[in-house]
Amino acid sequence: MNFDSYWAAVDDELAAIPGRPLLDLVPARTTDEATFYTVRLTSTGPYRVYGNLSIPAGDGPFPALLLTPRYGSVNNVPHPNDRSRYVVLSLMHRGQRLANEGFAAAYPGLLTMGIDDALSYIYRGIAADCLRAAEFLMGLSEVDPARVAVSGDDLAVLTAARRPRFSAVRVTDLLFYRAMETRLESSHYPLEELNDHLRAGSSAAVVEGTLSYFDPARHAPAVAARTLLAVDDPDWCASLTAVLPAAEVYKLTHLDGADNDFLDVWLAELSGVRPMSRFVVG
Amino acid sequence: MRDPENATVEVELPADFDEFWAAGLADCASYPLDAVLTEMPTLSTARVIVYDVRCTSYGGLRIAGWYAVPRDRPAPYPGLVTIPGYISEPTIPKEWAELGYAALAVAPRGKLRSNDVFNPGYPGLLTHNIVDHNTYGYRGFYLDVVRAVEVLLDRPEVDELRIGLQGSSQGGGLGISTAALMPDVIRCVAAGAPYLCGIMTAPTLTRSYPYEEINEYLRMHPKDVDRVRETVAYYDGLNFAPKVQAPTLLYLGLEDDVCPPETGFALHRVLRCEKRLHTYPHCAHHAGLPDVMRLVEDFLAEHLDPGTVDR
Repeated sequence: MNFDSYWAAVDDELAAIPGRPLLDLVPARTTDEATFYTVRLTSTGPYRVYGNLSIPAGDGPFPALLLTPRYGSVNNVPHPNDRSRYVVLSLMHRGQRLANEGFAAAYPGLLTMGIDDALSYIYRGIAADCLRAAEFLMGLSEVDPARVAVSGDDLAVLTAARRPRFSAVRVTDLLFYRAMETRLESSHYPLEELNDHLRAGSSAAVVEGTLSYFDPARHAPAVAARTLLAVDDPDWCASLTAVLPAAEVYKLTHLDGADNDFLDVWLAELSGVRPMSRFVVG
Repeated sequence: MRDPENATVEVELPADFDEFWAAGLADCASYPLDAVLTEMPTLSTARVIVYDVRCTSYGGLRIAGWYAVPRDRPAPYPGLVTIPGYISEPTIPKEWAELGYAALAVAPRGKLRSNDVFNPGYPGLLTHNIVDHNTYGYRGFYLDVVRAVEVLLDRPEVDELRIGLQGSSQGGGLGISTAALMPDVIRCVAAGAPYLCGIMTAPTLTRSYPYEEINEYLRMHPKDVDRVRETVAYYDGLNFAPKVQAPTLLYLGLEDDVCPPETGFALHRVLRCEKRLHTYPHCAHHAGLPDVMRLVEDFLAEHLDPGTVDR
């Protein structure tokens, strides 16, 4: 199966199954600034995934922000600073806490689950979860369709490529990009999962073939949005940057207070909202 | 303008603080440790042997961990317990084993593999039964780290006179509490961006999670504020700190929105042990990562002597 038909099949599966969103108000997280809901959505499988949704107080439409899930069992609840400025949706993909009914992801283990067959690879479903979340967010009447951003790791790139109505992409981490090279550099998890899996007897060529469907450099040419890549080594990411139509690169300083502020300002300016530093309270 | 170094952060010490924790330790001691180690060949490497660990902790609950020991150098090894952050799962500590440590990454109750019985979730743990110090969710969680140290003490390949603790955020905070509860055992602590210090002050200084959970709780239960304050005083790192005897390394981000630096400075002030403090301007919760890890490795090596270190 080639790249395009692989992802077209995911889109077809999503189109065939309604999302059936269920929203529940969360009074403890609702303030004068924003109203907070939990969301449950049906993705491929069918599988019910979970999201945190917050909608600013006042008259919309508002800019929107989709936070794709990180690699790990838990994603933080969206920060109040973001809740006050954006319609913000953070997704828990299948297997993460709050979306683990029937399937609880293992850490380590998730990165290689089903990886010996691209069609059964768990990230095929996880990508579908992200696409379903994007569809849901863009369908909300409170959202300004001209100002919808996505933020996260490679899944943010993939989501923006498959749902080209996004206007901004903020990439703060890379998991799949050159993963088969990076895995050789240390015993750091999660990429050490690839080494563990290969030691158990799997074929490197097969694993690499599966990962290639998720390589952000293959998705990048379809990203229409302005994109910020926040990376340690711009040279390492050159082959990704080169194929993103509207990319900017921010070299992380590892002064993470300053880095966080830069990333906030970049998106705020594109979205037409005020920048906010998380260290400043009040 | 904030002045974190000179900010006032105070916590009342409960009169029965020592008795409370002695009772918790006694409860743990009433159960056999029953540590079961299962070698995991597919997770092991040419340099490191990895084990799945299970043991019995507070309340008789079974908890898990990952244990990694060097394959390429002779025992005995110094022991190191690594403690996870609030939303993190413990990763297999192969890199510490590669440096010469018998390293145990503990999964306290509620973490994956230790959540069959107790599973308050995230968010959730910080406010689980927060109006009652006897049943507060963190009670067993704190004691699970003590139990992890006892697993190391039980291992013949570990030198019981060279056991240290390492963690950041929640791992840093629980490093302090564990060192206080085991003053005769713990030889050093490396604690980054320590969480669970100045627990009632921190939510007034930040809107970031997990402390925001307390703000949310009090938004719904404003009349409980005194009971919450009473409960968390038993768990506050500022009340454990004076009991720590092991040399302690602290590192703080001076723009940390998750664990406000005011609380880290307060911890440093009340530590009476040999202590070092590194502060990082313009840094948030990473508190100097990744560069600070070289300081952490050097500090642990200085006190635990893992031998020649391959970097």
